[in-house]
Amino acid sequence: MRISKILMVIFLSVTLCFTFGVSSSMAAGTVKVGIVLPLTGPQAKFGEIEKLSFDLALEEINAAGGINGKKLILVMEDDTGRPDVGRSVVEKLITKDKVVMLGGGYSSSVTYAVSGVCQQNAMPFLVNTGSADKITGSGWDWIYRLNPPVSHYADAVTSLLIEKVKPKTVAILYENSLFGTKGAGKFEKICKKLGIKVLLKQGYEHGGIDYKPVLTQIKRLNPDIVYMVSYIMDASLLMKQARELKLTPKMFIGGAAGFTLPEFVDNAGKAADKVISATLWHQVLPFPGAMDYYNKFVAKYNRPTEYHGAEAYSACYVIADVLKRAKSFKNTDIKKALSETDMMTVFGPVKFTTWGKLKNQNIAATYVVQWLDGNLELVWPTKHATKKFNYPVNWLKIWGY
Amino acid sequence: MTKKNLTLIILGVVLLAFPLIVRSDYYQHLVILAFIWVVIGSSWNLLAGYTGQVSFGHAMFFGVGAYTAGILVTKLGISAWWGMAFGGILAMLIGLFVGWVCFRLRGPYFALATLAGGEIFRLIATNWESLTEGMVGILIIQTFRSKLPYYYLALLLAFACVYVIHLIMKSKWGYYFVSIREDQDAAESLGINTTLYKNVSLMVSAFFTGMAGAFYMNYMAFIDPEVVFSLHYISIMAILVGIVGGVGTIMGPAVGAFVMVGVQETFRSAFFGLAPKWISQGHAMAFGLLVIFAIMFLANGIVGDWSKIKRHVFRIKTSST
Amino acid sequence: MDVFLQTLVAGILIGGIYCLIGIGMSLIMGVMGIINLAHGQLMMVAMYITFVLSAYMHVDPYFSLIVAMPALFLLGCFLQKYLLNPLMKVESILPENQVLMTVGIGMVLAEIARFIFSSDYKCVKTPYGGSAFFIGNISLNVPMCIAFIFAVVITVALFWFLAKTDTGRSIRATAQDKEAATLMGVNSTRITIITFGMGSALVASAGSLLIPIYYLFPDIGGPFTLKAFVICILGGLGSTVGAIFGGLTLGIAESLGATYIGMGYKDMVGFLIFVLVLVFLPGGLVGIKRLIKS
Repeated sequence: MRISKILMVIFLSVTLCFTFGVSSSMAAGTVKVGIVLPLTGPQAKFGEIEKLSFDLALEEINAAGGINGKKLILVMEDDTGRPDVGRSVVEKLITKDKVVMLGGGYSSSVTYAVSGVCQQNAMPFLVNTGSADKITGSGWDWIYRLNPPVSHYADAVTSLLIEKVKPKTVAILYENSLFGTKGAGKFEKICKKLGIKVLLKQGYEHGGIDYKPVLTQIKRLNPDIVYMVSYIMDASLLMKQARELKLTPKMFIGGAAGFTLPEFVDNAGKAADKVISATLWHQVLPFPGAMDYYNKFVAKYNRPTEYHGAEAYSACYVIADVLKRAKSFKNTDIKKALSETDMMTVFGPVKFTTWGKLKNQNIAATYVVQWLDGNLELVWPTKHATKKFNYPVNWLKIWGY
Repeated sequence: MTKKNLTLIILGVVLLAFPLIVRSDYYQHLVILAFIWVVIGSSWNLLAGYTGQVSFGHAMFFGVGAYTAGILVTKLGISAWWGMAFGGILAMLIGLFVGWVCFRLRGPYFALATLAGGEIFRLIATNWESLTEGMVGILIIQTFRSKLPYYYLALLLAFACVYVIHLIMKSKWGYYFVSIREDQDAAESLGINTTLYKNVSLMVSAFFTGMAGAFYMNYMAFIDPEVVFSLHYISIMAILVGIVGGVGTIMGPAVGAFVMVGVQETFRSAFFGLAPKWISQGHAMAFGLLVIFAIMFLANGIVGDWSKIKRHVFRIKTSST
Repeated sequence: MDVFLQTLVAGILIGGIYCLIGIGMSLIMGVMGIINLAHGQLMMVAMYITFVLSAYMHVDPYFSLIVAMPALFLLGCFLQKYLLNPLMKVESILPENQVLMTVGIGMVLAEIARFIFSSDYKCVKTPYGGSAFFIGNISLNVPMCIAFIFAVVITVALFWFLAKTDTGRSIRATAQDKEAATLMGVNSTRITIITFGMGSALVASAGSLLIPIYYLFPDIGGPFTLKAFVICILGGLGSTVGAIFGGLTLGIAESLGATYIGMGYKDMVGFLIFVLVLVFLPGGLVGIKRLIKS
């Protein structure tokens, strides 16, 4: 008897607590868009950059009159970097906050899980970072993506390899996350197509202390290039330990993510110099507002921004543009407007089309950056380059041996 | 006795009517999550609270159940609902193996071995990409768009689990389990085959946890190794649910499940958007503090120490008036 | 051959640090009979202390051992005195209450660190951080070698302490037979407090030594807690000598596993050895010694 009473009390209090929370009302003259980002947890760093960029763009959009006079409101929800939480918050955004569409999506697995929910609920979702091919490659028609898929991250690197480095052998190291696995797998395929021999392809659990065993193996195999898909701290450790081992291939290549962040050069020091990486954006690109965005961000938040931020900033403008053009805020009208998108952003031109197996995918170019004396410089393709691609490299000299 | 039945009936009616009254998918979702935790917490409690074998690796059974359901879809192309049956059975077989390895030892070995077991399964699921898709995870499309079928299935599962454990504990088995917990040597000398009954307890526990995992796959429609084999979010959570609610009581884990889901969501959403946003950073902290508080002052959980709570609350009331 | 030697050396060096982590856990397990699941988180606290000293006061990570170890000793004493010891008086069904308490402590410590330092990765730069020297074709990282030497020194000092001082003898006596020790006039409450403090100080030293090699973030503790208990089981529960064997074994096994099986399976090797030991050799590596003797 006692027990059931307790249960009752607790149950009632929990329900009360829940119903108490239902206070969000739809204010007139506003339009709500849900944004899913990792604001706490291990990916919070990137989520933060994106959130600040969304905020920056939102301010500008509302200052310029909002959505045809209506104020745009972004409802930010924290997915904590976990797919199950991501799923829950999206359901909350759809059913409780009654958002008209969704944006955000940082990690591949969260974005993938969230996309499933959106597809099922016929909720337009503009992905701006989640990069696994499956997200737009599952034939879902409510999912649109601004950033290129991970399988195309290496496009610019590939052309650079063909024209400049001309390697014969390669070793691939990758973090065994969704992003790392897919990125490495795609690069392996590219290599096979180009006739480059893959001497070693190995995944690792992130957070290792000592990568020397595997790096020694690579040293013995002596490949022309070492391709790594790693997040930030692993990236620095890998380069630091490669330097200690005097591992000297013709080129070290990073597959975006960890290799383009300022922390990489901070931590790896001179071991970071001359390393090249794929990237999706650089502030010197000749897109209207790219440099402006970079400067505004630095002035306002007093820290640098990078491609994740540019993706978010552009996504916000795309969302505003779509909502302005949509006949009503009904999901089908928004979807129609999304499909008709054709605009210029700081991230480049945005237009959603079919790209190979991918549906509603924006075809975005990729670039190659190189660390030169502590600065990240755009070196490829040459028509946009700010600095000349440094090659060949005498690693031992740079490393101070 | 009749009063007890009455409250149970009211409780049943409230739970059955809840989704018809509260139409928001969001709240229904939270209650479904709580039901899943009722199953995991109760299963853990059967093994730890009643039989005295504290498991730090229930994610192992949960994950196996979930992956069984998922792999049935991706590899065999049959409905993930079959996982509800096969997942439970497979988890049970794995429980049998774990028991065979661990129950030959006493003391903290079992806790440690289950902890390691859970991690081993996580690493296997991460690395065996041809079977599990590795970190890509498995995504299926939900059978129902409405929450209602899931709600009632989860309710049924939670009820079945709690009721079966209730029946077991009223039977001879329950008596054996508790005697093993209280004093294994004494139980042995009374002629109870302690290894056998520890295994029985573990298998029942694993079975329900595996079912919960399979249900999770069906309901959440996405799993990856970090989600379902998580030491922190599944194995440890299962323990916390048991501890906060009340170890060694039938209703304890059920209460614990609702409290934990409530606390987690309240903090994550910063008190449903009413409190400043930074509060949401503290959801894990609130959890940790709740655990420390519960162990210090409510060693037997909310249900186990209900009389103590009542006394305290009552005293505070009288002194303040 | 080079690959094998490099792998072996890497394993031994990291094994030295694992020893420090494992011995701390082992001491606590021996005296209190509990698994300290906040062990890695205590190391994380020490790492943040080292980080703050180095980043804001420019104290070399190795000098900060002098601060981090006593600080963690006090923290450990505090936790034992005010959070763990009171539980002995609390009546509860589960004997594992103290273990579960350490889970709670670990969570709170990690969250406090996140509150203060955010989830960002931190790193301490030292002039010697990236320096290495070669013996033949084997590259040896300088901070790694320094850490190994420190680990040996600290371990030797600990054994001297346990063997020669009164407190040390009391700790060993309590670990062997608590009741007998109490009867002989050992204040077991005081001993548990000191032991938890020492265990924390030891893992703190491991944390400070890791700083020049590794990086830190609030969630760094978890994986190291797991390693610590694997080491303890390998060595035999509660045996300090065993923990040294356990630490080295784990270091070498992980390293070999990474080279010859695959980096992704590195952590699994440790756990597999752990399960094998559990099944075939429940006494841990120290058990072998006893087997040979008998």
